[in-house]
Amino acid sequence: MGLEQYKGDMDMCCRCSACKFIPLQKVTGFHFANVCPSISKFNFHSYSGGGRLNIGAAMLRDGFKYTDKLLDIVYNCQLCGACGVSCNYAMDMEVLEPIQEFRMKCVGDGKTHPALDKAIAGLRKHGSMVPAAGKRGDWAAGLNLKDATRQKVDVLYHVGCLSSYDKGMQKLAKATAKILQKAGVNFGIAGDAETCCGGRAYQMGYKEDFLNQAKKNMAMIKKAGVKKVVTACADGYHAFKVLYDQYGLKGKLEVLHLSEYIDTLIRDGKLKLEKKAGISVTYHDPCRLGRLGEPWIHWEGKKIPGDRFVFDPPKTYRRGTHGIYEPPRRVLKSIPGLKLTEMTRIKEYSWCCGAGGGVRESNPQFAAWTAVERIEEAKSTGAEAIVTACPWCEKTFNEAIRESGSNLKVYDIVELVEKAI
Amino acid sequence: MALSKDIYSAFEDIVGEEYICSDPAIMPSYHATEFAAIILPKDTAQVQSIVRLCNKHKIVFRPVCTGWTGMFPPGIIYLDLRRMNRIIEINEKNMYAVVEPYVISAQLQAELMKRGLHLNVKGAGTNCSAMLRGHGHLDQTTSGDDRNHLAIEWVTPEGELVRSGSLGSADEWFCGDGPGPSIRSILTSAVPPGVTPGVFTKAAIKIYHWPGPTQFPVQGVSPNYSLSEIPTNMMARYFSFPSVEKMWQAEIKLGENEIAFELMGFNVSMVAANITTSNEEEAETFKRMNKEVQGPGFFIILAGNSAADFEYKKRVMHQIVAEAGGKSLKEVEDPRIEGILLCQCVRISASIRETFRAGGAFSSIPVMGQRDLTIKWAIGAGKAKEPLIEKGFIVDDGGAFFGWGVEQGHLGKTEIFCKFDPQNLVAKTAVETWNKEQSARAFKERYFASLMGPMDEVGPGLSNFHQWWRKIHQAIDPNNVCPEGGALV
Repeated sequence: MGLEQYKGDMDMCCRCSACKFIPLQKVTGFHFANVCPSISKFNFHSYSGGGRLNIGAAMLRDGFKYTDKLLDIVYNCQLCGACGVSCNYAMDMEVLEPIQEFRMKCVGDGKTHPALDKAIAGLRKHGSMVPAAGKRGDWAAGLNLKDATRQKVDVLYHVGCLSSYDKGMQKLAKATAKILQKAGVNFGIAGDAETCCGGRAYQMGYKEDFLNQAKKNMAMIKKAGVKKVVTACADGYHAFKVLYDQYGLKGKLEVLHLSEYIDTLIRDGKLKLEKKAGISVTYHDPCRLGRLGEPWIHWEGKKIPGDRFVFDPPKTYRRGTHGIYEPPRRVLKSIPGLKLTEMTRIKEYSWCCGAGGGVRESNPQFAAWTAVERIEEAKSTGAEAIVTACPWCEKTFNEAIRESGSNLKVYDIVELVEKAI
Repeated sequence: MALSKDIYSAFEDIVGEEYICSDPAIMPSYHATEFAAIILPKDTAQVQSIVRLCNKHKIVFRPVCTGWTGMFPPGIIYLDLRRMNRIIEINEKNMYAVVEPYVISAQLQAELMKRGLHLNVKGAGTNCSAMLRGHGHLDQTTSGDDRNHLAIEWVTPEGELVRSGSLGSADEWFCGDGPGPSIRSILTSAVPPGVTPGVFTKAAIKIYHWPGPTQFPVQGVSPNYSLSEIPTNMMARYFSFPSVEKMWQAEIKLGENEIAFELMGFNVSMVAANITTSNEEEAETFKRMNKEVQGPGFFIILAGNSAADFEYKKRVMHQIVAEAGGKSLKEVEDPRIEGILLCQCVRISASIRETFRAGGAFSSIPVMGQRDLTIKWAIGAGKAKEPLIEKGFIVDDGGAFFGWGVEQGHLGKTEIFCKFDPQNLVAKTAVETWNKEQSARAFKERYFASLMGPMDEVGPGLSNFHQWWRKIHQAIDPNNVCPEGGALV
């Protein structure tokens, strides 16, 4: 069906501009009222969620006429879903899904971005979204971790591309392993058998590549008899939990983000955070753990003819309500001596780090601009550090901090937990 | 329709290549018209330069803020004022705020609440420009329409800079009428198309005392927001009455006693829209509430300046409502519902639920005038909705209208909606016919003249104002480059 299935949703856009701002009740001042990085940076209405829907509706009606400007609009979007949350406070319509479909249509029509083509070429060759130096499981050398493809484990820790290959980010994989070992979890990794979740390829619009990756992962998981996957990456979490389900590949696999799992381990008394942190932090909700981390809702139906945009059977929209917001906060609050102060834009209306939707690859300046905006917001809380729960956020924030000269520190939640055990 | 390369370059020299675009790909996002170009000026000087260039080349332009509504002919320049988004000043002592066009009301309101102040927010919602002229939920205590505009900085259709009122004489924003040039009748006139030709680049807006919290304690995750606690000096209720006359009696008395912070004559369908998170839930809630109410009603917010003041206002309200036979809608007494209605109806953050959510469009006839007269007309317009409801063309709201008094008085706004699916062309045509017929009836029966219709039809009945307006328009816009005025929504 592609974009056509969202014709009615796109026609529903009344151009009210709610998609540009955080939910209006939550606006607490002049600053930090914007929610969409793309319209905030590029200003033309076309870059907003509503503008994208208006364009999509027009092109369905009048035919697709690609121009450089159109592709600039399409690829300068993190697909962070904030527009949809703000819209769906009031409206019953899909917002992010048609924007995603539009991206996939561009890729399907061969209207790709060279930087994204390059990233996908790497994926096809190495099964990774980052340059693959060495083997995927090299980071675990000497840690004596179980190989989940050969040994019986309760939990498969899916490490993800960045934490596996990026020398600067491997610390997160090691910290995760240490935490799980400390809690006595019977877990394993897939090592060199692990491959990219495909989530970032999906965001970039390469649906077939995503599906290839998803099928490979699920085949490995099925073969290994794994019932539960834990990922410390928000993109991986979203791919396994939401996208695999959306495309009928997930089955009964239980998918948890590490912050959820640590939260459970703490509450079950299996993990004790005892060492004092003595730090004030603010928490950044990664888009694909927060608002986009809520379960996929399978639905098929038809519009009921008449005055309202309603369906038979009724459609339940994913409005960001059931994202993962509290578990990471509970974990942080469990760390002795840690002071958590919230930013203005949090939870379902959190500002994106900038890395999503392939923007990190296709327009690094825009990704950095988006991250700097978040860094400024974090600084406004008076916190010493911004904590996230995704390696892509951490890397993007760190690069932005280096560029902007800020002295704010950046941590992944696992780093703070590791220090506290 | 496209600009010549030279003219495009001249505009580009003013704003920079990043802020002008004529690519056809972006046009559908701007009101489905093939504009000559979209241009985003950053300040008044750039606006002036653009307007002068438009005059030089006889190119029509139209300025727009957040850009919710508007009809745009092809081939014109769309002046997107998005980059002009600064709060210039909040003058607490003299009770005004100066803003540029793209400051949305939510931003200004939040800044004002921190300072114990607030502003009149238009019914369209806080997602719209704070400079927008119009009416809304807060009219009872913060007036409406042009009453809240003080001094204005205006770029005329020829590109001249006019600074009205005290701004023109003393570089101060506190008054729109003097000392200095008062051109209120032109700058904030109510003549069609409702907004002055040229561009408002800055405006001072009257601000008011705010007795509520510096910030509402909103909890929960969208769309299930509620207040963790209702401010102890505030309350919200919905009262229905046995008849229109009784409701009007209560409304007038509440105004005379000056106790209502907000009195919004919602019909119960609008209450249902406000408190629900989906179309299906709204339809069910309306059915349930419609059985409970005894007739037309209104939503009211009380806000005390002290505990004693709050108690007094409550007592007066209950007495007036009781005398008029009013009945409180039980669901609104639930603190969860009361809290979110209180917050939404001060922050005007759910107007889209009331209007667009159902089918994607609504047709409205808004009128300003003496409430008891305009209500009489609205009852007839509501009856005329019934066949459309029966045919399934428009949402069933019981044929209701709504409205409210302005400045605690007998003058006020009365409005009636038809919510429909614009993709259903039969329904759309039926709604357009309803709007036309009811507007014509209003004029014929001497209730009011809808200025949204053809001026040549209503003008002769109103001292030929349209001819005067055309002369004024020609004088200030001799090249006819801004025939439709601006659109500040």
